Amino acid sequence: MKKIIYILIVISIATSCGDDFLFQPPRAALTVGSFPATADDALLAVNGAYNILRAWQINTGGFPLLDFMADDVVKGSSPGDGTAVAPYDNFTHTAEEGGLERWYKTEYEAIRRTNLVINEVPNIDMEEDLKSRLIAEARFLRAFFYADLVRGFGAVPMVTEINAPVDLVRTPVETILNEIIYPDLENAIVNLPERSGYGAEDLGRATKGAARGLLARVKLFYKAFEDVEELTQAIIASDEYELMDDYADIFTAENEHNIESIFEVGAIPETFANGGSQFANTLGVRGSPNRGWGFGRPAYSWISEMEANEDPRLEPSVIFLNEELDGVVISGDGATPDTIYAGGDIVEIEAYNQKVWYPGTDTRTAFGHNKRIIRYADVLLMHAEALNENGKTNEALDYLNQVRSRAGMPEYNTTSQSELRDLIMDERKYELALEGLRFWDLVRTDRAEEVLGPLGFIKGKNELLPIPQSEIDISQGRIEQNPGY
Amino acid sequence: MHYLRSLFIVGVFFSTMSLIYSQTNTYNGTVIASDLEEPLFGVSVLIKGTGDGTLTDLDGNFEISAAPGDTLVLSYIGYETQEIGLGTQTNLSITMGPDNEVLDEVVVIGYGTIKKSDLTGSVAKVSAEEITKVPAANAINALQGKVAGLQISNTSGDPGSDPVVRLRGITTLNNNNPIAVIDGVITDVSAISLLNANDIESVEVLKDASATAIYGSRGAAGVIIVTTKSGKAGKNKVSFSVEQSFESIANEIEVMDGREFATYLNQIEPGTYNNLDVLPNTDWQELIYNNNAPMTSANFSISGGSENATFYFGLGYFGQQGIIEKSNLDRLTGKLNSEYRLSPNFDVGLNLSMLLSDKQNTPGVVNTALRAWPINTPYLDDGTTFAEVNGGNPLAAIEYSNSNSDRLRSLGNLYANINFLNNFTFKTSLQFDFGAGKSKSFSPVFFVGSLQQNEINDLNYTNDYNLGLIFENTLSYNNEIGRHRVGAVLGYSTQDQRNEFISGSTEGLLREDPLFWYLEAGQNDFETVTNNAARSTIISYLGRVNYSFDSRYLLTASLRRDGSSNFGGNNLYGYFPSVALGWNVSNESFWNVDLVNRLKIRGSWGRIGNEKIPGSAQYALIRGGRDVVLGENEGIQPGATFDGGGNPDLKWEDTEQANIGFEVGILEDKFTLEMDYYYKNTFDILVPLEPAGYLGIGAFRSIFFNAANVENRGFEWNANYRDNIGDISYSIGFLGTTIRNEVTNIGQGFGADSLLVGGDLGNGQRVARSSVGNPVGFFYGYQVEGVFQNQAEIENNPSLFGQQPGDLRYADINNDGLLNANDRTIIGSSIPDFIYGFNAQVNYKTITLSADFQGQMGNEIYNGKQAIRFTTLNYEERFNNYWSGEGSTDENFRPVLGGPNFQPSSYFVEDGSFLRLRTVTLNYGIPNRLLDNLKMAGANVYVRGTNLFTATQYTGYSPEIGAANAIDGSIDLGVYPITRVFSVGLNASF
Repeated sequence: MKKIIYILIVISIATSCGDDFLFQPPRAALTVGSFPATADDALLAVNGAYNILRAWQINTGGFPLLDFMADDVVKGSSPGDGTAVAPYDNFTHTAEEGGLERWYKTEYEAIRRTNLVINEVPNIDMEEDLKSRLIAEARFLRAFFYADLVRGFGAVPMVTEINAPVDLVRTPVETILNEIIYPDLENAIVNLPERSGYGAEDLGRATKGAARGLLARVKLFYKAFEDVEELTQAIIASDEYELMDDYADIFTAENEHNIESIFEVGAIPETFANGGSQFANTLGVRGSPNRGWGFGRPAYSWISEMEANEDPRLEPSVIFLNEELDGVVISGDGATPDTIYAGGDIVEIEAYNQKVWYPGTDTRTAFGHNKRIIRYADVLLMHAEALNENGKTNEALDYLNQVRSRAGMPEYNTTSQSELRDLIMDERKYELALEGLRFWDLVRTDRAEEVLGPLGFIKGKNELLPIPQSEIDISQGRIEQNPGY
Repeated sequence: MHYLRSLFIVGVFFSTMSLIYSQTNTYNGTVIASDLEEPLFGVSVLIKGTGDGTLTDLDGNFEISAAPGDTLVLSYIGYETQEIGLGTQTNLSITMGPDNEVLDEVVVIGYGTIKKSDLTGSVAKVSAEEITKVPAANAINALQGKVAGLQISNTSGDPGSDPVVRLRGITTLNNNNPIAVIDGVITDVSAISLLNANDIESVEVLKDASATAIYGSRGAAGVIIVTTKSGKAGKNKVSFSVEQSFESIANEIEVMDGREFATYLNQIEPGTYNNLDVLPNTDWQELIYNNNAPMTSANFSISGGSENATFYFGLGYFGQQGIIEKSNLDRLTGKLNSEYRLSPNFDVGLNLSMLLSDKQNTPGVVNTALRAWPINTPYLDDGTTFAEVNGGNPLAAIEYSNSNSDRLRSLGNLYANINFLNNFTFKTSLQFDFGAGKSKSFSPVFFVGSLQQNEINDLNYTNDYNLGLIFENTLSYNNEIGRHRVGAVLGYSTQDQRNEFISGSTEGLLREDPLFWYLEAGQNDFETVTNNAARSTIISYLGRVNYSFDSRYLLTASLRRDGSSNFGGNNLYGYFPSVALGWNVSNESFWNVDLVNRLKIRGSWGRIGNEKIPGSAQYALIRGGRDVVLGENEGIQPGATFDGGGNPDLKWEDTEQANIGFEVGILEDKFTLEMDYYYKNTFDILVPLEPAGYLGIGAFRSIFFNAANVENRGFEWNANYRDNIGDISYSIGFLGTTIRNEVTNIGQGFGADSLLVGGDLGNGQRVARSSVGNPVGFFYGYQVEGVFQNQAEIENNPSLFGQQPGDLRYADINNDGLLNANDRTIIGSSIPDFIYGFNAQVNYKTITLSADFQGQMGNEIYNGKQAIRFTTLNYEERFNNYWSGEGSTDENFRPVLGGPNFQPSSYFVEDGSFLRLRTVTLNYGIPNRLLDNLKMAGANVYVRGTNLFTATQYTGYSPEIGAANAIDGSIDLGVYPITRVFSVGLNASF
């Protein structure tokens, strides 16, 4: 009997397990080192970076905060809804508003996805052309995200590796421009195909034109007009793009990836996980039909100006109550006043951004809207602006008039550089309204105080957003706040 | 695989053992209990030095084969052990007397038992009698107020919600629940809900390192050992109990009524509501909470056995409707303990517990009811159609909520004990903790308003499967040589935990009938399915020695080595030692203080670990399904990328704990006092933190770090006095713990070296912090000094951007004449200075009245319900006293929707101290003469009130706020209210 006991004890110890029993890798997931390992992985990783362009938070934290701050848009929605983001309308926003943090952190999440590609794909043994294209796509996206960050927050921590050091400080804007944004986009211009170089199934990937357009937009913000002229000229000369005949066709569902579109974010009417984008749901018609929350409504002052100009672009840009769109009558939201008065004057009406309209009567279909990021009309206006600033006012006029005449507006024939400068800025306000560009146009041309001052804009402060308070707190103040916040 | 192999070997061994047999002379005897003057059944009769033996039968008789000169050892719980030398007389008549030595009570400790007098650690034992004397619906609640340092809080009234259990305060920053060991199976505290209070034989609470270190990596937050009842040989014992209760909300939260709300909004936007008299006034809380919601429990058990086999079988039902509609719970529990004596030295047995539950997942309407506009009505004029309500219509939310979870959980321990060489016991066991559940929620098509509608019906379904297996082998040695008493155990154990889930969703079901609540009824286009799994493993080696000299000097030392798959290569193993000394002063010959009949001094030191983190926390995972939409025809192209972040450098969290204490009994234990001073220092605390944004793991996502060192120290005591005045006996007890909690170091590795930020309110505000020299998770924000009464005050004092008269005046903490983020400061702490409880009991004949109070002092609660929200919602009553002009108030700010007044500040911090009458019970035991007529062994009826009274300044439903994570502090974001309960019950046994 004792023997049996000893045998049992010995066996029970012998059945013991070693260290391999203690190695339990994650299930149904890979880790860095095992991914990306092949050409297929490289493509997956690049697609994974594009994926975040559809994320709700990448759009300034979900809500069009930049539009709220501009003069062409108001917070919108019903008066009681979104009181947390209402302060952007009058520049009383603080560093603790949650949308800001969502946006900032999601930009870095996006950058990490691109860094995965940029750092790991070069080590993969694969066809060189495809490899350099995929890396260039990731570098385009990285530049895109960094451009958002430096324009919004100024100096920010610069991360180029997969695992960022934990003790970063803010890197000057100049450094980020010169070490990331410019080289990334220059690489992308060299290594990306033109739009026509992609197969039909790949429409929507970054192109040479998109890289030039983005670089032009960044250069314009920093007033490098020579570069802007050259870049926009190259886009025009590429013969890849032209203006749509009818302004009203630019943003419709059937004209996604149209000839005027230089970069846009593909989406289908599904949940985010299945290919949708919530951007148009956030901005969509509130109430009936139920398309969304109604944030970022066109400002009444802008509508009035367009009406006074008899600008045909007003109607395709704005959904008015009782309008019929794609067979659907827009009756709007019961809780939102149709008209708001102050001192007997109309200050706000219930109207919605038509540029995000996607046919349908429910919220899910709104997820199918493709957000247009860069379009050819913007390139023409940038080109006109650069030419004018470079002393080529006569040449500039022609490009401005291309946009004017497509819109059905009379052409200009001024020869004054300063007059043309104002006309171009006005044209951007009419042509590119509700597209998230107006606020930065005012900031970069130093007109923000003049135009937005009455709304609460403070010079020397509101050119930048505050760094999210959590970032300052978590870093114990190593990341410093922008002035005035 | 090795489990199956081991099981097979054990099986073969069992079959072999049953063939072993030995034989000599035959002795017959009868055992009589001197106090009962009745035969004693089930007395263990052993031949000394051999381990061979038998048990007495129903008539107290036994028969045993032994040689003359052998000594028989007769033992029976509660009776003094006797030794009988065998001679030629083969018919023996033996009388056993009761054991009056209370001190020699046996206490269950990890992997063994020990005489209480030999105990060196801080272990509190709660006996079956104490647990059932004051009936409680939930076994874990029965421990409340019985163990110093053990705090059981019901933070939610949701049927079936687990109470929060804390032993000696907050040790770690993450999972602070002690572990439970149920009949040897290591599991979590929530598993105690598998048991009925009546099934429990004893509960031991292991508090100090000497007691818990044997559980190594799982012992840091304490260990609760539950031993369930086993059958006793003899006549079957049958018992049953039923209890019926009714619960109601204890208190509503005071919010604005319709008129007040409209008045407030008029202040913000003049002229919004011109005629206050015609506005509706809806009390949403009254509409969603039911009064006198029933709660029923019924238990049945039967136990018994023969000489070679015993069993205990228990069955229980618990049903609770809940005060919110569609929150009900039904639970069925089963218990089977059986043991077979295959030979005198060889037992095999099985302990099995099972639970089946069916829970309606409570509609999330608690906050909705607090926030819905009181000037909206639940229904349109027709009285049946739901009306659109700002903030959401809570009644519609209930109506359209269909969510249900079914669970099965089973805990088992299949074991064999082999005694050999007189003093050795080898125990091998295979333990399992199995759980499986499915959860389903269906949302029909409905329209209440633009923000409360569902355009297409949808269904979500989740199925999960969890299996934990432990294979454990221990070798024990127990011996007494002269005045030396030695106990030792060596063990080896492996644990394998597997979890897997599959979930799916679909939309557009063919019909809305429950018969169609299956994925297959939906439209293919909308169907999604996901499936994932996790596995974690532990390998452990353990050893312990207990030594006692002359019952005076005591020593315990233990060591455990744990390896866990939760950590990467270099940090795989942790070592957890402990040592403890004890001195029974009252056993010394010089001790002649008659007043003090018992005095023991003990001290311990040890290290315990914590590895309670997800197995994948070390990895930055890359997952598929991060797709892109491309192409002329807009198709999906698959993508894969990061899903959050990981930390490959994770290592063990260690808690070093020292404890010194004494136990004293005065006047033959009329007065007893147990007091300890404890000191716990937890190193490299594992905690999920939101790191700096530039690490790129995404918004509102965390990574685990070894983030900090935290120190806890304090006194705890349990004092009891019992006496009687004539027929009336009474007892009073007072127990308490003082807590001093301090962060002593903040680790490196996440971008901050002296600060952790927590307390996310979900609106961008984070109100809790942890930093060196302060308690964990203190509240952080502006300190309110008053209200700006006029423009001059704003100009003459530092203020925030854009402040106006009527706004809160915050303190300029750093006195730099400016008010900014640098002026935020400590505005409260969630950790109480003092937790206490007292209980009193009075008996007169068979009537017992008992009351149990619980309280805490010196902690604060952040009322997150009042913090800024995304939209305009109803306000709590305090906002009615708004500032309305110079001199009106210096406490509340002017009516405003957002802005500087909603910055995190002391305005939102409230005192969390409270004293609660937890239970009061009146119990009537049916007198013996009646019982005899009814042929019953015992019966009692009782009435009980729970949460009858709470003294607190806190304005929420309950000051007991749970925190999932200590660095977040106690933030009240709205929980299912705890309830006031009236119960009546009956227990009977035959």
